[in-house]
Amino acid sequence: MLRSCIKPIGLLSLLLASGCQDNGVKVYRVPKESPAAMTQAELPAGHPDISDAAAKPQLTWKVPAGWTELPPGEIRVASFKVAGNDGQQADVSVTPLPGVAGDDLSNVNRWRGQVGQPPVTEEELKAAVQAVAVAGQPAALYDQAGETMRILAAIQRRENTAWFFKMTGDTDLVDGQKPVFIEFLQSVQFGGDTAVSGPKWDVPADWTEAPAGQFLFAKFTMAGGQAAVNVSTSPGDGGGLAANVNRWRKQLGLGELTGDELAKSVATSDGVTVVEMAGEHASLVAAVVTQPGKVWFYKLMGDAPVVAAQKDAFMKFVREVKY
Amino acid sequence: MLDRLVSVFTSLRLTVVLLALGLVLVFWGTLAQVNLGLYRAQNDFFRSFFIYWTPAGSGLHLPIFPGGYLVGSLLLINLFAAHFRYYQPGKKKYGIVLIHFGVMLLLVGQLLTDVLSTESSLHLRHGETKNYSEMSSHFELAVVDTTAPGTDTVVAIRARRLEASGDIRHAELPFTIRVLTYFPNSSLTKESQPGHMQIATTAGFGAGLWWRAWPHETETDKRDMPSGILEVLAPQGSLGTYLISAFLTRPQQLTHKGRTYELTLRPERIYKAFTLHLIEFRHDKYPGTEIPKNFSSRVRLQRPATGEDREVLIYMNNPLRYDGETYYQASFDTDNQGTVLQVVRNPSWLTPYFSCVLVGAGLLVQFLTHLAGFAAKRKVS
Repeated sequence: MLRSCIKPIGLLSLLLASGCQDNGVKVYRVPKESPAAMTQAELPAGHPDISDAAAKPQLTWKVPAGWTELPPGEIRVASFKVAGNDGQQADVSVTPLPGVAGDDLSNVNRWRGQVGQPPVTEEELKAAVQAVAVAGQPAALYDQAGETMRILAAIQRRENTAWFFKMTGDTDLVDGQKPVFIEFLQSVQFGGDTAVSGPKWDVPADWTEAPAGQFLFAKFTMAGGQAAVNVSTSPGDGGGLAANVNRWRKQLGLGELTGDELAKSVATSDGVTVVEMAGEHASLVAAVVTQPGKVWFYKLMGDAPVVAAQKDAFMKFVREVKY
Repeated sequence: MLDRLVSVFTSLRLTVVLLALGLVLVFWGTLAQVNLGLYRAQNDFFRSFFIYWTPAGSGLHLPIFPGGYLVGSLLLINLFAAHFRYYQPGKKKYGIVLIHFGVMLLLVGQLLTDVLSTESSLHLRHGETKNYSEMSSHFELAVVDTTAPGTDTVVAIRARRLEASGDIRHAELPFTIRVLTYFPNSSLTKESQPGHMQIATTAGFGAGLWWRAWPHETETDKRDMPSGILEVLAPQGSLGTYLISAFLTRPQQLTHKGRTYELTLRPERIYKAFTLHLIEFRHDKYPGTEIPKNFSSRVRLQRPATGEDREVLIYMNNPLRYDGETYYQASFDTDNQGTVLQVVRNPSWLTPYFSCVLVGAGLLVQFLTHLAGFAAKRKVS
């Protein structure tokens, strides 16, 4: 009887022993991982589901010399191939994604990972951004250069869509193509029903356009960055005037206003509601313009003397905006 | 003496004691997960012959309770021995035989699953293609020869070889890798922090960073992040010391005799002979609510060697069974743009099914035998 037990136990021990026999080193031959295969269909981190996205927006552009236009893909609305010397190649894509499609930092760090560069911090990103124009509106251009691969990417957020204009290819080729790419961005025009055309304005000569970030429509700085004008828009009433005024007061370290106090602090003329406030370290002039279905916020904020000096130019700018 | 041993191993009392010990073990092991984490509790309580206790301040390692392997093995021996001791051939006992073999198969099957099965995960973003899965709790040092145009040669050295320190040589490596330091769990910082030491490597991008060792991670949602320092030794001398770390996301390059190598400490990979490409991940919710209705991944499976190219839909309770592995829908990225498939290779996955069939058939046979006997008696009377 005991003998009948020994055999299966012996077999089990053998199995256990065979599971442990491993010198801890394995060798594989595997196909190279291809970053290009991923970039074709890649989507920025954090973007919403686009499986049921509506028809693609209309876009027109001027194809730069040396670029070959390719058929648009499932996600891309435009695609180009750029060939350089010695077989160097670059790929240009234009991809609209609904929503904000992730913040710039996560997108840039993902691209940096693709070119073999370490991630950057929010501060480093701010220093690295380059302001460019896409269809006459500000956009943020990020340049990720690796040893062999380089990615130029411009992001523009128009209403509820994030537009990604991207050139990916051999470092030297992309380096030489950068001015061409920027020219291409300027040539882009949005048209058709789905295109979003923003308001038209005359920017005072001493204002500098700055990257708007994901929550702003436009941003301008002045006096070396001592003050800035932020332009943003929201559907409906944007949360109401009172909530916004008190939010701005909080930014300046001031207490909330209610009822009559709040009503007295604002003045409306020619459809523009203006509110002024001064904190210990900064002051603010904000203008609110209501349009059908949406509201526009213009906020001049910064060092008190600069804000005071820029106030007239700011009000002229706001009143002359054509929607 | 032998008779006494036989009597102990075949006794029903032993069965009851072992079942009671099993009960306590499961209860204790489940509670222990709070402090030890799932992985260590499984190893200490269930994948061991004894549970050990180390009195505070001593280096002693005292066995204080039988572990899962001991209880399971003794139960198996007990069942086996009792069966042959008390078994009396005869038609009436066929059912009992089937039941006993069914239970034995269940126990053996569990042991085989424990010893032979591997679990890994496959993370795919939309549009991404991969030919490997990763074991997130195990790391490997990958030395990848990237010189050839289309193919990489990967020499993967398991972390436990690194933990053992010493020199690592392999026929595929033209140099020796000497492990100078290896921390199974560590932190790596850019600036000096309490308890951290500055790293002084001579090659790669480790020099100037700060690191320290930490105890094993016990929380289930965290994992160990190993780091180490290696020296690469060619016959003509040292090629430099390199930091390897799970925190470093890009490989460190090293050139030797005109060939380029990349060093990476990464989760252990299990390569496949096919690729999976994520076409779409869906996270459906009941209309008007945030309650999940369905998680599914539509993937494209391509196997160049056989020309196989097909789409597969993987969703809850509908895994892909392919090439000896099962791909379950396990998790997803918070932005719904990526999926995580749990990949299980379990060569003995069918044993519980066979066991249940055997036990079920045994019960049926036993019941029908008694029924037939009863019916016959009734007819006679």
